[in-house]
Parts: sequence; C-alpha cells; structure tokens
Amino acid sequence: GVPPPGPQDPLAQQFGQMNIQSQPQVPPGVQAAPQLNQLYPSDLISQPFSVQELDLPPPPINLPPNTSVTPSPFANCPSKFVRSTLNSIPTTHSLLKKSRLPFALVMTPYTSLHDAEDPVPVCSDQVISRCRRCRSYINPFVTFLDHGHRWRCNMCNLANDVPQAFDWDAATQQSVDRWQRPELNYSVVEFVAPQEYMVRPPQALTYVFLLDVSYSAVTSGLLATSARCILESLDLIPNADRRTRLAFLAVDSSLHYFVIPTDGGEITEPKMLVVSDLDEPFLPTPDDLVVNLAECRQNIELFLNKLQSMFKDTQNGAHAMGSGLRSALRLIQATGGKITVLSATLPNIGYGKLEMREDKKVLGTSKESSLLQPANSFYKSFAVDCSKQQVSIDMFLFSSQYQDVATLSNLPRYTGGQTYFYPGWNAARSEDAIKFAKEFSSYLSAEIGLEAVLRVRATTGLRMNAFYGNFFNRSSDLCAFPAFPRDQSFVVEVAIDETIVKPHVCLQTAVLHTTCNGERRIRVMTLALPTTETLSSVYASADQLAITTYFSHKAVERSLGSGLEAARDALQSKVVEIMQTYRKELAGGNMGGGGLQLPANLRGLPVLFLGLMKNVGLRKSAQIPSDLRSAALCLLSTLPLPLLIQYVYPRFYSLHDMPDNAGVPDPTTNETVLPPPMNLSSERIVPYGLYLIDDGQTQFMWLGRDAIPALVEDVFGLADKSQVKQGKTLLPELDNEFNERVRAVVEKSRDHRARGVGSITVPPLYVVREDGEPSLRLWAQTLLVEDRADQGVSLGQWMGMLREKVVQ
Amino acid sequence: MDYEAMKDEWAQVEERDGLKLSWNTFPSSRMEASRLVVPIGALYTPLKEKTDTPLLQYEPVSCKAPCRAVLNPFCQVDMRGRLWICPFCLQRNSLPPHYKDISADVIPPELLATSTTIEYRLARPALSAPIFLFVVDTCQEEDGLKALKDSIIMSLSLLPPYALVGLITFGTTTQVHEIGYTECAKSYVFRGSKDYTSKQVQEMLGLTAPGMRLGVQPQPGRAPPPMGPAHRFLLPIQNAEFQLTNALEQLQKDPWPVANDKRALRCTGVALSVAVGLLEASFQNSGGRIMLFTGGPATEGPGMVVGPELREPIRSHHDIDRDNIKYYKKALKFYEHLAKRTAHNGHIIDIFAGCLDQVGLLEMKGLANSTGGHMILTDSFTSSMYKQSFMRIFEKDESDNLLMGFNASLEVLTTKELKVTGLIGHAVSMNKKSSSVGETECGIGNTCSWKMCGIDPSSSYGIYFEMASQTGPNTVQQGPQKGMIQFLTYYQHSSGQYHLRVTTVSRPLSGPSGDPAIAQSFDQEAAAVLMSRIAVFKAEVDDGPDVLRWVDRMLIRLCSRFAEYRKDDPSSFRLEKNFTLYPQFMFHLRRSQFLQVFNNSPDETAFYRHVLNHEDVSNSLIMIQPTLDAYRIDQEEAEAVLLDSGSIQNDTILLLDTFFHILIFHGETVAAWRKEGYQDQPEYANFNELLKKPKEDAKALIQDRFPLPRFIVCDAGGSQARFLLSKLNPSTTHTTGSYGVSQSSQTIFTDDVSLQTFMDHLMKLAVSGTG
Ligand SMILES: [Zn+2]
Ligand SMILES: [Zn+2]
Repeated sequence: GVPPPGPQDPLAQQFGQMNIQSQPQVPPGVQAAPQLNQLYPSDLISQPFSVQELDLPPPPINLPPNTSVTPSPFANCPSKFVRSTLNSIPTTHSLLKKSRLPFALVMTPYTSLHDAEDPVPVCSDQVISRCRRCRSYINPFVTFLDHGHRWRCNMCNLANDVPQAFDWDAATQQSVDRWQRPELNYSVVEFVAPQEYMVRPPQALTYVFLLDVSYSAVTSGLLATSARCILESLDLIPNADRRTRLAFLAVDSSLHYFVIPTDGGEITEPKMLVVSDLDEPFLPTPDDLVVNLAECRQNIELFLNKLQSMFKDTQNGAHAMGSGLRSALRLIQATGGKITVLSATLPNIGYGKLEMREDKKVLGTSKESSLLQPANSFYKSFAVDCSKQQVSIDMFLFSSQYQDVATLSNLPRYTGGQTYFYPGWNAARSEDAIKFAKEFSSYLSAEIGLEAVLRVRATTGLRMNAFYGNFFNRSSDLCAFPAFPRDQSFVVEVAIDETIVKPHVCLQTAVLHTTCNGERRIRVMTLALPTTETLSSVYASADQLAITTYFSHKAVERSLGSGLEAARDALQSKVVEIMQTYRKELAGGNMGGGGLQLPANLRGLPVLFLGLMKNVGLRKSAQIPSDLRSAALCLLSTLPLPLLIQYVYPRFYSLHDMPDNAGVPDPTTNETVLPPPMNLSSERIVPYGLYLIDDGQTQFMWLGRDAIPALVEDVFGLADKSQVKQGKTLLPELDNEFNERVRAVVEKSRDHRARGVGSITVPPLYVVREDGEPSLRLWAQTLLVEDRADQGVSLGQWMGMLREKVVQ
Repeated sequence: MDYEAMKDEWAQVEERDGLKLSWNTFPSSRMEASRLVVPIGALYTPLKEKTDTPLLQYEPVSCKAPCRAVLNPFCQVDMRGRLWICPFCLQRNSLPPHYKDISADVIPPELLATSTTIEYRLARPALSAPIFLFVVDTCQEEDGLKALKDSIIMSLSLLPPYALVGLITFGTTTQVHEIGYTECAKSYVFRGSKDYTSKQVQEMLGLTAPGMRLGVQPQPGRAPPPMGPAHRFLLPIQNAEFQLTNALEQLQKDPWPVANDKRALRCTGVALSVAVGLLEASFQNSGGRIMLFTGGPATEGPGMVVGPELREPIRSHHDIDRDNIKYYKKALKFYEHLAKRTAHNGHIIDIFAGCLDQVGLLEMKGLANSTGGHMILTDSFTSSMYKQSFMRIFEKDESDNLLMGFNASLEVLTTKELKVTGLIGHAVSMNKKSSSVGETECGIGNTCSWKMCGIDPSSSYGIYFEMASQTGPNTVQQGPQKGMIQFLTYYQHSSGQYHLRVTTVSRPLSGPSGDPAIAQSFDQEAAAVLMSRIAVFKAEVDDGPDVLRWVDRMLIRLCSRFAEYRKDDPSSFRLEKNFTLYPQFMFHLRRSQFLQVFNNSPDETAFYRHVLNHEDVSNSLIMIQPTLDAYRIDQEEAEAVLLDSGSIQNDTILLLDTFFHILIFHGETVAAWRKEGYQDQPEYANFNELLKKPKEDAKALIQDRFPLPRFIVCDAGGSQARFLLSKLNPSTTHTTGSYGVSQSSQTIFTDDVSLQTFMDHLMKLAVSGTG
C-alpha cells in the first residue's frame, strides 16, 4: 500500500509555508494592508488527499489591525463556537454566486455539557448596552466616538450613547475600567439579563420522564436500567437553586402517573394513578405529580427503587406514547421543561398511533424515501405545540423492531431536543447497559438552557436566509429552543443583499436563555470576517469542514424532501460545480499534473463529499433499515462539527504497529497520544494487523486474519484468535503494556469532550475478525470510505468520475 | 267468625307466611272482583325471619314443567301409590324414591299443615362470594369523610372473611383502587365528564385481557392469575383487609380546588357507571352490593343534577312541576338506564347520602328501587342516624350469616281462577309469561316472575291479582272451592348457597254473587297499604291532583259498595267493623308526604316513597297514619290518642311516631316545669319519671327501625313543634272554630280539611251513589 505521508512529505512542507496558525500573525513592518489568504493550488491526482489534512485549522481570519477596540487576542470568535464557510466574505452577491461556494455559519454555542469545562466570561453587572436600531450587543468591534461617550454600531453604523453605568460599578461604588470589560475584550461573553429580558420569572429545570413500561421495555431491562440510572444520577441533575422538579409518567396501554409525597410526611409511598382514557389527556390530580427534587429526594429514591418491580409481570404490549406525550405536556405546560422519552416499542395505540410501515422490498428503491418522512402529522404539530409551551423533547429509542425513528425524531427536531437511538438494546448485555447508563447520566448532568431563543444579527447588507438544526423557526430570524442542547450545532445560511463597502463584516449570534440555575442570560458570540472583492481570496479562505457541515444539513433536508437519490446527486453536482468553477476561474483552465485541482484548503472536499454520500444515512443500499437511516440523518443534522466530520470520514488507526508514544500520556499535556490517523482504505490493512475504525458513534476493532497469537494474547488474553468474542464487547483489562495502550487508544478515541464539543455519546466497541462473522466485517468495511463497497464507488473511481465531469 | 277472631287468624298467617291479603276470600268471578274496588292483593315479605320451621337440606319436589309448583301441604298425596296431585295444574306426579317411607305417620315437613311456608337450601352454590364495592365521595369536609371512612372500615369487620371487597372513590374524577396491587397504592382514574360505555370501562381497567396484549405472545409461566382480572380490584376481605383499610385511611378530600362561588365537581354518575361496569365484566349474576356514599349532588358528567355554579339552585318540586330544569330528564334517563343494567347483572346499588342539601336522590332513585338497594338520607356522615342505619345493614342471624339475600327471583303460581297482574316493590320484571299472568297490569306486570337483586328479611312486596273466571264458581266440582297461590323465592343466601322459600296460600272462593263472606274477609290494614302502594306508583307518573282524585274515588266507591245506608241519607251511613278504619287511613294517606310533596324536597319524596315500598303492613301503616301517645303525670301507662290537634294538652307529653321521625312534645306546662328544673328535685320524682318515660319508649321504637328515624324533642310553641302540628288532623283549624274542644288545644293553621269534614263529604257522596 501507499505509506501515510511522513514529515518529509512535500505536501506537509507546503502547509508549513501557509499561514495556518490560529492567530493571525502580523509581519513586522507591514501594518496597513490586511494580509489576505493566498491561494495554494494543488493537484488531487498527483498529490492525493491525506487524512491529516482534516486536522488542520480553518484558513485564518485576517482582519486589518485595530479592527477591535481592544488589543485582546480573544476579540474574535474562536472557530469552535462559530465557524464560517468563508473566512473572506465576498462584497457582492454576484461574487458569492460566482464562487458557487455557500456562505453559512456553523454555530456551536455550547462546547461542553457543563459550564465549568469551558467557561465563558460573564458580564454580571446587568449593564447591557445594545444598539438602539438593530439591537446588536456591544462587542469588541464597535468604535467609540465623542470621547468615549458614544459608540458606533458595527452592524448598522448608528451612534449610540454609552450607558453611564458602563464605567461605574453601582454595587461597589467604584469606577470601572471600560477597557477591562469582558464584552469589549471577548467575542464570546454571557450577559446576566435584567428583568426586562423576562416574559416571566425564570422557570425551574423540569424533567418529565416518559417511561415505556410495556412488555418489551420491561423484558429488555430498559425500565429497570432507566430507573436505576435516574436514581444514581439524582445528584448530577443540575439543581444548584434547589428548584429542579421531576415527574414520571409510565406508559403502556395506559398512562401511569405517580404522586410522590414530600419527604418527612406521614406518607412516603408513591401513589400510582392509572389513566386509560387515551382520547383526551387529563391530569388525575392537581398536586404532587411534578415534584421538587430537593424536597422529595428520599421519596423519589423510594419510588425509583420500586419502579421496576411495579411492572415486572406485565403482559401488555401496547404503547400509547402519543397520548403519554400529550399528558406530559399537560403536566408541565405552565412552566415548560424537558420531556425525556425512553421507549422500546412502536407507539401502537392512542394518539399518534404508528404502524409498522417498513417493507424490506422498498429499501434501496425510490420509494424508500417515503419511509424517512413522518408517517403522520401528529408528531410535528405536537412538537410545535410543545415549542410554544417551552417544552423540549428528547427521544431515547431502544426497539429491537421497527420503531419509526423517522416519525418520532420530529419531536426533538422542532423542540431543540435530540434523538438517541439504541437499536436492539438489551440490558442483559452489559455493554449495552453500561453504554446507556453512561450516556444517560451524562445527559442528565448537562446544564441545558431553558426558554431559549437564538438570533443572528449582522452587518447591514447581510441577511440570515435559512436555518438548519433542531429548533422551531418562530419567525423569519428567530429560532426557538424550549431547552438549549449542549451537544448540537446549527447552521445558518447568510445572504448578501447589498454590496458591502466595509473592509470587514460582523455576525453576532445571541442566545437568550434561562440557565438551569434559574438565571436569565444572553450568550453573545461576535464573529468579524474580512471582505474581499476577489474570487481567489474567497477560495483561499473557504473552510472545507464548515462547507461539508453545511452540505450535510442540506443533504438531510434534500433527503427528507426529495429523496436520497436526489440528495446524493445534489452532493455530487455541487462538488463538480466547485471544482469546475475553481478550474475555470482560478486555475486558468490549467490541467496541471493529474488535472483535478483545488486549493490546498479545499483538498478534502471530494473525499468528504464521498464520505457523506457513503454515510449510512445517505448511501445507496438495499440493506439499511429505515430506522438506522433516520437516526443517521438526525446525527448528520445535529452533530458538532468535529464529530460530524468524523462521522463522515471516520478515524482509522493502526494499532499493532503504533508508534511508541501512542497509547500513553503525552508528557506535557498528560493526554493519551493517538496513533497517526490513516486514510480509510483497506489497502492500509495488513492481514496480521490490529486496527481501530471509529466514526464517533461506533468503534470497530479489526483483527486481521493472520494476527499472531502473541497479539491476541496481549490484547484479548486469549490463546487462540478463534476464541475472541466478536461483536459488541468490552476489552479485558490485562496486565500487559500493549493491552493498556490499546485500551487507552480506544478510550481516547471515544473521548468526545476532549475534542471541544459537548457530547454524551459513548461509542460501543465491536470486535471484528477479518475471518469471522461476514456481516460484521462488511459493516466495518462500510466505514472504509475510500473502498469500493456495496453500491458505492472507491475513491479512485470517484476521482476519475469527477475528473471526467470537471474537465469534460 | 267475628272480626277479632279473624284479625287474630290474619296475624297468625302474617307471622307464619309473612303475608297479608286485602281479601281473604276470593270472589269467584271477574265481575264480582271488579265490584270489590280494592284489588285482591298480598303484601308479602318473602324472607321474613322464621325460626319455627326447619331449613330443609334437600331439593324440593316439583311438579312437571311448565308448572314447576313445589310440593306443599295443600297437595293431595297418595301414600300408597307414591303419587301427588298438583293443585295448580292437576297433574299427577310420582314422589321421588327417597319418599318411599312416607305414611300417614311419617310425613315430610313440607307436607305438614303448618308448612305453608318452608325453605330449602339448594345444592346450587352461588357463583361467587358476596361482593361489597364501596363507592365513596371524596368531595367532603374532613370530619364527614373521616366519619365515613371509619364507618366503612368498621363494616369490614362485620363482613364474612370470604366476602369480596373493592373501593371506588370519586370527586372531580373517579378512581378505582386496585387493592390487589401490593407495590404501592394504585388506582385507575376516569374522567369525571365522560359517559364511559361498559366496554370502555372494562378495557380501561384491563379486564378484557388477553386482548390488550398487542404483539405479545403469552409467555409460559406468566399466565394471568386464575381468579380473573377483576380480582385485582375485588378481593376476599381476608386477603385484602390491610390494603383496603390502608387505602381508606389514606383517602383525602378531593384535591381539585373549588372556588367560593362553586360547588365541588362531583362525578357521581361516572363513579356508578364504572362500578357497574366493573362488576358487569366478571361477576354477572353473582350477588353483590355497590354501596354509594355521597356527600352532595352530582355536578359533573353524565347524571349531573345541578351545575357547579352555586347561584344555580338544585331543583325543587315546583321546578319539576313547571318542567324548567336543565338536567333532570337527562339525569333521570342516565340513572334509569344504569339501574336497568345493574338489575340485569344481578347487583344491588345502595345510596347513602350525608348532606344537608339534596344529592339527586330523585334522579338516582331507580338505582336502589330497581335493584333492591337501600336508601339512607341523612344530614351528615357524622350523624348517628347514618352510622347506626349503616351498621344495621350488616346484621346477622343466629348462624352468623348476614341478613341479606342476593340475586333473588320471586315467581308466582296461581290456580286457574286467579291471575297475577303485577308487583309493586323494589324489583324488576323478568318478563316471564305463564298461564298465571293476568290480562290487566298493576305495578310491574305482564310477568309472573320478578328479580330482586337485593332482598332482606323485611323486604315486602305488594302483589296484585285478578280473577280469571267470567262465569263464577265451577259448579261441577264438589265441596268448598279454593283459590291458591304459590310464591317461589329463589335467592343467594349470604352463606353462599342458593335457597328457595316457598309460600303456598289457599283461600276459599266465594259462593254465588253477593256472598257476605267476601266483605267479612276484608283486611282493611292490608288493603290500605296495598292501595297506598298503588297510589304512590301512580304518583310517580301521574300528576298529584289526579292521584288524589283517584284515591277519593276509590274510597267513595268502596264505601258505596260495602257500607250500609239509605240512599241519599248520610246520617244512615254505617261501616262494618273491618271497614271503619279504612277511610281514616285514606284521609291520612292523602295528607301524607307520599302524595303531598310540596313540603319536602324531591330527594325526601324519593326517600319516603322508597321506604314505603320496602316495609310490611304495620310499618307502612305508621308511615301513612303516624301513632300518637300521650303521657300524663297521673297515669301509669301512655295512652294512644287521636292524631288530632285536640290531643295537644298543656300538661301532657306527646310521643309521635311517623316511622321517619320520632318526636317528643312537651305541653306548655310540662315545658315550663322542666325549665324550672322540677325534675331535679326529689319531691317531684314523679315529674322526672314523666319526662323519662317517653324517652324510653322512643328508644324502644328506634331499636329495630331501619333506617334510623330522626329524633326530635320539642316544646309547645317551639319551632320544631311545627313538625307535630303538620301531622295532626286539623280538627280545630281557623276556619272551623274551636267548637267542642278544650281551651288548651291548639288551632292548626292549615287549609286542609279535617277528618270530620272529610268523613262528612265521604258519607254524602257514598250514599248518593254518584261515586
Ligand atoms: Zn446597530
Ligand atoms: Zn303442577
């Protein structure tokens, strides 16, 4: 095979010359002109794409000096929060159009599940200065006038008065150094909002657990595991203000409510109230169904300890989820909150009843796409109702049979929730139990925001044109999130309506929300980007990962609207279009060496698009159950950028020959060092090797057919390869260095939080023997994006096809 | 036989057979019968407690189908041929083999002359132990609810340990408590505003399993409990006493808030419908009681009788008269339908009301009336009237069996001269046609068989007959001719077996037209009660004035027919001894709360009429014509006095018993002395005695009374005394002046006619021949 590029690789040298540091470096003596990114042409045929290119930072944002009012190095928005597809903005709509590149922002307002893991400066004095006209928040890119008494809005140019309190701390009766204020030094800040930012007092964090108690949920151990997991996570659920409230609703063919008494009273036992009237939800009692976690803690524990035995003898196979949802909404409609659905059964009775509509025969055909669309309108319209009542829904789905993820995922989609899918989950498999328990307790610990709205304001001439992600678009520019998730990204497409005359533009994202501690806050992220009149600059500053993320959302939208085929076709024509444009407009029609050219910063686009088209959500295949597809589409439209890219182009490590520093902590950072990643091609696999393929959702440990016994012994503690348990498993902890290192790599690879994103996902590990279970092997091989597999082309074929179309 | 001797004989019959007839000689023709005015009828108490005859432990010997009459003392038995001739159908039947030893000296008990009433314990066991399903209103103040809970918990100790018990509570919603569930308190909640069908109730309670198990294969070793799904809700008390007691103790006031200007939302209709549906599912034709305890009117859902707005008053008789009430007809229809279903299923509904206001008994009355349930109307569940009446329901016989029967049927067989025209009492028709069924209809007719889901030793039924023969006595047959009736009462005894009570009545048929034996056989007490039941039955459907006119007309016709008089000479009017009291009974009936409803609430009317239709002759007579006793300081014994305003004297104490009320009235002087405290002074011990005596007598009256009467003590001139005055014959109204009456008697302000005026009119009309 082709060896991975080493440090002497010419390509790497080329990158070394590029200005790829995250901080703009201003060369001494050149003060005036902003440094624009240069175009570094490269040939994809003679210099094939290397996976390590994906780890490079986006093209730098080269702002003119003194663009920000303070010299703070944090004045511009870090890419982990907001990432633009273009880091040089065309000044006109026609230039943008000509480029064929999208202009969009990929936003991740929260980069961790907990504030403490990635703190953001807080402006707590409640002095919030905003533009009178466009309502933008004061930020590092405003300018001060009139001896600092007024500030000019960097969005709309209006001059605004600086509030008196801006320089004076009323609490301490001391003057404040304006230049120290966080909002002028940091592009990402959080304001503590005063009264006028509240329609009502901040609501308490409220969870309703909608628990499936029908036969399959009980026998699969879902109910017991959920109950135990909630019980063990009670201390993790954010409750600093002791206002957090919980409710439990158990659903089979009836709705079971639980009255949980307050601690210290005569009655400690929970009371179960069963409502079987599914037609119209009604509350069986006005009191004690939604209870304060702190005040009822002991009795909640008592209840959760009893919960699984309450339904142990059930024979009931019916699941009235829709009716349960309506009741759950009813429970918390006055306050809003989160409905957490834990279900192992297709909702087969009551409101929003669904049917097994999957037909194996239509998979892979044009009719397949209808299975990805909702089966009925209840779920979307209910979700919209929930959004209005500030209720968000998360779906944890566990069925071993068809569960209609396509329909059910509508609930999270419009309410700022998420769909978590555990196909065929069973608590009897400890891997399943542990995975869910870990994820669920992370989930419960997340400091979600409540009653949130997100709005993006930008320099005059720019307009937010389209929004992608799990929320409800309440008005043309307002996204509503009853609960703001911490493990998702959003994409906003920007239109250029007027010619931009400024040297730079600003885009400000504000998330008004209630923290789970009952504080009203606004998280503000301001991104400044230089403008350009040249196409080459646009291309030189394009961010291939952000572009891929944008098209991932577009592809999901297209799949649901026009079908999978159309989505794949659109992806293909888009990449062709970009390459054609580049060739025609910027490479002078140069055929170069191989004839397929892209600037260095966009070299990954063809392979990323290929990865997208081969993703389980989108690829052409007659083998993919529609639930799996739908779940994948959910991920493709919500994952934070680093995880999305990994999901599209998985990580692939060779373990048997990993360098000595891999699998052990780096002496300086103390973080486990991963082996160098490899391109996803089976050419890299040797028969005696051991590999890890990880798409962020699933990990495969590939054991070559000729693996030597010593390797098997070291890693699995088994004498014979044939004894290695295939499929979902946990690696044994053995007392040898190699075993420890392999486990460390597996652990590090699944450590999503270390990647600067919020995520609860713990990917399961499947052991695949090359000479073992063929279906497992085939599954793992589908992650080898550069291979030819099933109905998908190899990277070589793909490049050939592109070349044909681009060069013509 | 003179009148007194006849009365004694009738009393013996009543004692032995629980039966009193209006006419003890049957007219021999239809024509003759029609001239009797008062129909031939029996007031029959099928389960009247009998201690003198043994309970037969074998199956009765019955005549061939379709007759099925049971062997009785009036059968001709051929000892040698081992044959018996059925007096009803005249068929010959052979005696079963085990009667082989029968002889003139050895005759089985059922053939003894005294065995006109006999009871068999049948081999057929009841389908299930008796069921007691408590349906409890939680929209109550804490003290009422507490008293109610205590009384129900207490009743558990009175039930046999095998009895099945269950609990439903209601308020804004209805909750069925799954007392068989041990993990925690669990109940099924039903919306208060919805009319659930029986099928829905059963589905929602999971009683239709395994149909509910969508997509699940029955698992081996996970079979449903052998007792059936309803046993999650209804369990033997020995297994569920702890759970049920717990559930009751933890009952709290309905948690939904009630605004100041609103009534609590109370879905009585839904609660009952769910209760009925629960029993319907799994216990059809198993004896059981649904015991409703309600603290107010239904204000929500089907069967609501008044809206939740307090400014909207609950309906009165005037409102019903004017037909301008919102909910009445709908509610009535709802409860009537429910009553029919319940009766069909063989279950009882008892209604216990503890409320100062009305609870909608008028609308709900069918529930108790059709199923043989009790109605207890009290001001509060804290009252002793409620507590003692409730406990009395659980009284037991010497064998420690509850004195209540379930799921009874009463069948009437007649010889060919007689036909049964109907029954008035707490029963429903079983629509059974036979040769004994008459052409006309009186009460619940067109059947020879009725169903009583609930029956107890004092349950009494008015059963009416007509004569079949157009021609008169059959001259072909020799000797004195008889008409015969056999009452067959099958019922589930509380011990768990079915019993059959057989009462056989044989009475002479009259001779040729004008036979004086008929008039002599008139039992005016039985007649008055039987006529009262008809009048009340009519009053349920007809206008009040029409019923009063009917009562008057029948009385005048009876008097015209049986009095001695010269035409158009009222002064010549004479009645035989056995007729003399009858006009008075009718006078008081006309004035009674049964027919004069406007002084009472519709609920009270429903209650009074319900009780009248349950009681025997002597209790009914007290209700129609209350008794009044006078106590004087110089007299040893109380003296029965006329129910007349003239009986009020300054120096007497009166004890009035209306059955529903017991009232002690202190004359002016007595009251004054009492207030002076003479009773506490040793030298006036006799006065103290005087005060005590009526109280002791009242206590004795209350002893066996069900429901417990309201007890009132009052003084002349006191506000409560109005109650006494309303019951007295207005001999001294302001229109008639105080002629012939002592100075101390009081004038009654009423527009009612006095007995004297009434009698004057009666005589005038009777002798004129215009009645
Ligand atoms: Zn502005
Ligand atoms: Zn016969």
